[in-house]
Amino acid sequence: MKFGGTSVATLPRWQNIRELVASRRAEGARVLVVVSALTGITDALKQLCGEGEPDKRKAAAGAIAQRHYDLLDHMQLALPDTLGSRLSDLAGLAANGPAPRGELAWQAQVQAHGELMSSALGAAFLSHSGLSTQWLDARECLAAVALPNQNERTRLLSAMVEAKPDPALNARLAVLGEVFITQGFIAREQHGRTVLLGRGGSDTSAAYFGALLKAARVEIWTDVAGMFTANPRQVPGARLLQRLDYEEAQEIASTGAKVLHPRCLSPLRDPRVPLLVKDTNRPELDGTVIGPEVRAYAPSVKAISARKGITLVSMESVGMWQQVGFLADVFAQFKQHGLSVDLIGSAETNVTVSLDPTENLLDSDAIAALASDLAKVCRVKVIAPCAAITLVGRGMRSLLHTLSGVLAEFGQLRVHLITQSSNNLNLTFVVDEEVVDQLLPHLHDLLIAAGALRTDESALFGPSWQALYGGGEVPDVAPAWWRGPQRQRLLKLAAEATPRYVYHLPTVRRQARELKSLAAVDRLHYAVKANTHPAILTALAAEGFAFECVSPGELEAVAAIVPEPVPLLFTPNFAPRRDYVYALATRATVTLDALHPLERWGELFRGREIVLRVDLGRGLGHHEKVRTGGSGSKFGLPLDQLPTFLQLADAHGVTVRGLHAHLGSGVLDAGHWGEVYAQLASLAERIGSVAFLNIGGGLGVPSHPGEARLDMAELDRVLREVKAAYPHYQLWMEPGRYLVADAGVLLARATQQKGKGAFRYLGIDTGMNSLIRPALYDAWHEIINLSRLDEPATALYQVVGPICESGDVLGTDRRLPEAQEDDVILIAQAGAYGKVMSSHYNLRDEADEIIIE
Amino acid sequence: MTIQPRLTKVFRFVRAHYADGVAELAYAFDDGAELVERIRFPQAPALPRERQAAFDAALKLLHLVAGVSYYKAGVPPRIEVADGPFDDATAELLDQLYLHGLAEFAYRNGLDLRGRISFPRSTTPPSPRRGEGRGEGMDLPQAPALNLPKRTLVPIGGGKDSLVAVEAIKSIGGEATAVWVGNSALIAACAERTGLPTLNIQRELAPGLFELNRLGAWNGHIPVTAVNSAILAVTAILYGYDSITFANERSASAATLEYEGQQVNHQWSKSLAFETLLGDWLHTHVASDLDYCSLLRPYSELAITRAFAKLTPYFDVFSSCNRNFKLLGPKPVDRWCGQCPKCHFVFLALAPFLPKPRLLAIFGRNLLDDDSQAAGFDALLEYQDHKPFECVGEGAEARAAMYALSQRPEWQEDALVERFRSEILPQLDAAQLELEPWLQPSPEHRVPVRLQGALAAIG
Repeated sequence: MKFGGTSVATLPRWQNIRELVASRRAEGARVLVVVSALTGITDALKQLCGEGEPDKRKAAAGAIAQRHYDLLDHMQLALPDTLGSRLSDLAGLAANGPAPRGELAWQAQVQAHGELMSSALGAAFLSHSGLSTQWLDARECLAAVALPNQNERTRLLSAMVEAKPDPALNARLAVLGEVFITQGFIAREQHGRTVLLGRGGSDTSAAYFGALLKAARVEIWTDVAGMFTANPRQVPGARLLQRLDYEEAQEIASTGAKVLHPRCLSPLRDPRVPLLVKDTNRPELDGTVIGPEVRAYAPSVKAISARKGITLVSMESVGMWQQVGFLADVFAQFKQHGLSVDLIGSAETNVTVSLDPTENLLDSDAIAALASDLAKVCRVKVIAPCAAITLVGRGMRSLLHTLSGVLAEFGQLRVHLITQSSNNLNLTFVVDEEVVDQLLPHLHDLLIAAGALRTDESALFGPSWQALYGGGEVPDVAPAWWRGPQRQRLLKLAAEATPRYVYHLPTVRRQARELKSLAAVDRLHYAVKANTHPAILTALAAEGFAFECVSPGELEAVAAIVPEPVPLLFTPNFAPRRDYVYALATRATVTLDALHPLERWGELFRGREIVLRVDLGRGLGHHEKVRTGGSGSKFGLPLDQLPTFLQLADAHGVTVRGLHAHLGSGVLDAGHWGEVYAQLASLAERIGSVAFLNIGGGLGVPSHPGEARLDMAELDRVLREVKAAYPHYQLWMEPGRYLVADAGVLLARATQQKGKGAFRYLGIDTGMNSLIRPALYDAWHEIINLSRLDEPATALYQVVGPICESGDVLGTDRRLPEAQEDDVILIAQAGAYGKVMSSHYNLRDEADEIIIE
Repeated sequence: MTIQPRLTKVFRFVRAHYADGVAELAYAFDDGAELVERIRFPQAPALPRERQAAFDAALKLLHLVAGVSYYKAGVPPRIEVADGPFDDATAELLDQLYLHGLAEFAYRNGLDLRGRISFPRSTTPPSPRRGEGRGEGMDLPQAPALNLPKRTLVPIGGGKDSLVAVEAIKSIGGEATAVWVGNSALIAACAERTGLPTLNIQRELAPGLFELNRLGAWNGHIPVTAVNSAILAVTAILYGYDSITFANERSASAATLEYEGQQVNHQWSKSLAFETLLGDWLHTHVASDLDYCSLLRPYSELAITRAFAKLTPYFDVFSSCNRNFKLLGPKPVDRWCGQCPKCHFVFLALAPFLPKPRLLAIFGRNLLDDDSQAAGFDALLEYQDHKPFECVGEGAEARAAMYALSQRPEWQEDALVERFRSEILPQLDAAQLELEPWLQPSPEHRVPVRLQGALAAIG
């Protein structure tokens, strides 16, 4: 069991250690505790080493001793002899300085005292509290090996140990006792000198001991429950990784995860000792188990990481083609300029390498000098700032087919380098750094949605970081309405007829009220294209919503239902002239998003107030087809045409009263609307006549189990913040799917099954003719066998419809109970873009629509 | 009846009033409602009696200068002043400011202001406030000296220039306060990083101006540095400072373009011409010991970026970007839009003086390796376009910086540098592209003797 610096710095933490050790003893295990120095002590010792004057060194040693006296005081322990002798050794080392031993050996000796002291103190505390504990000198167990590429510094300050199982050590300890405590970070080399193990040294010590003793397991106790599928700071929805093999874990650790040092895994691999990461403060959490490869699970991406501040050097020359030694010469230049190469990608005439951010790179002329030297033998290009995004998972090449959505995302970006090593554990993309913060959470979602990161495999993936640590309380997601008392009613409705859509109005109202809680929003419009059922329009009008329409047909449908004073917004795209003529005769506020209407039909708009929809230049959303920003999308006026648009407006006496932008659908990051809002506001400041800003909709509705919901409180905070900065603009929004998706389900009945190779198909009586989203957007809808809601999900189905299209698949790889003909199958979240997008294709009957209160 | 701003006939300076740290400046169009701007001076001290007359003069000037924001909404043919007419020097300052300061506004709106702007002049000049002359000539009677404390107001804009000025004053141990007008988290962060005492003056535009905008007022660029300068003149008298040092550089005096015989300079209120007009006016009408100058006047943008390249502690807080970032974030994209001429210019001008990875870390991206930015950089180089309407360096300066990069292996393959080498450079005379001449200061400046030592720190 290894405990780090903060875990050994206070009495309560030591009491915690005592309990954990005692619980392992209770399980019958013999325990070796490996400790770091008290937090801050290693730094203090390093500082002491840098001090030239003996008096200052002595004072520093005194301050360090005092820390330990203070802790002893809290523990109400007398100074144990073991610790006393360490303290006097340290005082002596400080007084004498490096001279007798040589600078580096002295430094190692001094710094080793952090762990020597903390372990002596720990032994006293544990024994005194009734847990008889033997103090063990790590240097008598861990022998550093000399390696050919080491210099004196690395030999002494970042040494390596070859740790093979040593039954003699086991035997020696067996006679000494049941509980031991020893030091992390230190070892001894062949000449008997004390050496250090370098950064992450205590984890590595624990691993060495685990290997030497061929332990049942190594436990690393730290401040987080383990490794996650992504850095939780970047992706709050990152999931706890409950099982990893050594190679995967090492790859994740070396591409960004800070929880484990990458070096601490390799000693455990051969002796097959598992390593467990646990949270000291939350010992009840499962943590991450790292062990030998497990073949019982389907291949899955395990984690996605990003490293920023990367600089690429691209070298291009036909001279390298089939030339002996070209690369050796080139790499010699990197060595000469003190730059360490990380990733490498090569073609016949190009080699591109990546450099990690170091002080040498940022603040010296190293890169200029390197480029000058390289330019003598090839064309060189320095590309920065970049970020390396790495997907980690065993068998990465067999997962490539699932990554199409992810690859499409990279297709929108400048990808400078892709690497995939022969160990088949990773796939790395080097992209522009600026895109990473937004990209990472998005890719994480995409990996889950694409089934590449198999979060449905509950043995591998634990709860999300957000659920474990996020903001104290996780709002309890109410179970979907159809799971409760409404289930019987739905079964009855399905018995009457299928396919049919059922809409639950209380859910529409609940969502509406949630949006109304956004205090900064002055006007909410329902984007009626999501669902135009009259009962839904009536319900939302009663909730005080305005309405957003995109065609004369929608305007007509809304006008027939909602009362006169309710404001309407007309936001068409590539609409013909006659549509504008129609809309201008209604009370709707008209939105333009191109020059053409003003250029060619300017007189139509004379004297009118309009809204201008701009394209802020980048798109967001869960699928390429729902993205509505960026040059690849047909929506919005590009910003470089704004001055022309304003001149045309002026020429025709048209007042731009509002600005609008909408970047896409299914966005779950609250910060996004704040950014759109702030960008629109800064544009509006240049226009003068603008009175309101319409930041669109696109509020995401999570579809997968465990996926984080859009944080309304955070959205509220973000919008208030921008509003405070730009108080003179009204804020409008136009959500659609958010209001109605969860309220609707599509009911169908099972018709038959078919086995084909490893696949099992479950046929139902409707498909893409009723619900086209899975085929159109790869949308994921939860599918439930409502007739067998409580039966175990033992079958793995491809759920398909009766349409003569191979794309008529509603859900792939779904775990469901064994189905029978006529079972009622429920497709969830079908309230938005379901019925409105349905068709008569194959001349199949349309689903009807039922409203329930 | 709602007012039609563009059809108004008279712009009236109604009154200016100061009490308890708040200056109220009132304006009106025709018989319309008053437009009242408020300027708040935090923790304003009581005004010493001997400075009252100077303060009144400075406040009057502020009223007249700040009026430009309102006047431009309608640009009516007549200007009326409640307590006019003015002596020649005052009327001249205002005529020039309104004509040249609004030149870009007029150009963009297709207006011609010549002959339209005329502040009332008295035939017999009212006697200016007499004091000891400073021997600058018979024609320039001096206002009295007020023995103002020997300390400096340094306006902070969040960009590199004012930070170079701050460090130059710190280098000679000068006592200074970092001051800024308005709300800006970015400027506040920069001001704090200077370690100087800070002073944040609040300016509230008249709410009626937003209403006029909605009613179709003329809109566009105003000489905001002139307004800030007038605010700081009041500040200096109120709190007691003997100098106001802006950070306007040499190229601010260069016109952006010429249009129907008129020079249009986006930065006119940062030019030496305006500095001279205002500086002299303050000496003759407010206090002979209140100096108004620009510390960076002798320097080119490139000399300033070279000086700034040594100021590492500011790299993660400053921004010269002209997109109005009212909300700050920790990332480069939260401070640099990467699209505007200011971003383009500062990137280009810093590039010769910083290690490439460091520069790219400041901006979070490489603007010179982005084809879509070609037009923006072309404008800076005055290649196939005129200089942008922004506070950026001269075209020849930008060309010198680009040429320097084109000679460096770590830059020369970047898309726009490569384009410069293959497409633009062959059309240029390499002899005109040296960086070195830009790094030499020119002798022209109005920095008072007390602060001239700071010039050496800039280089």
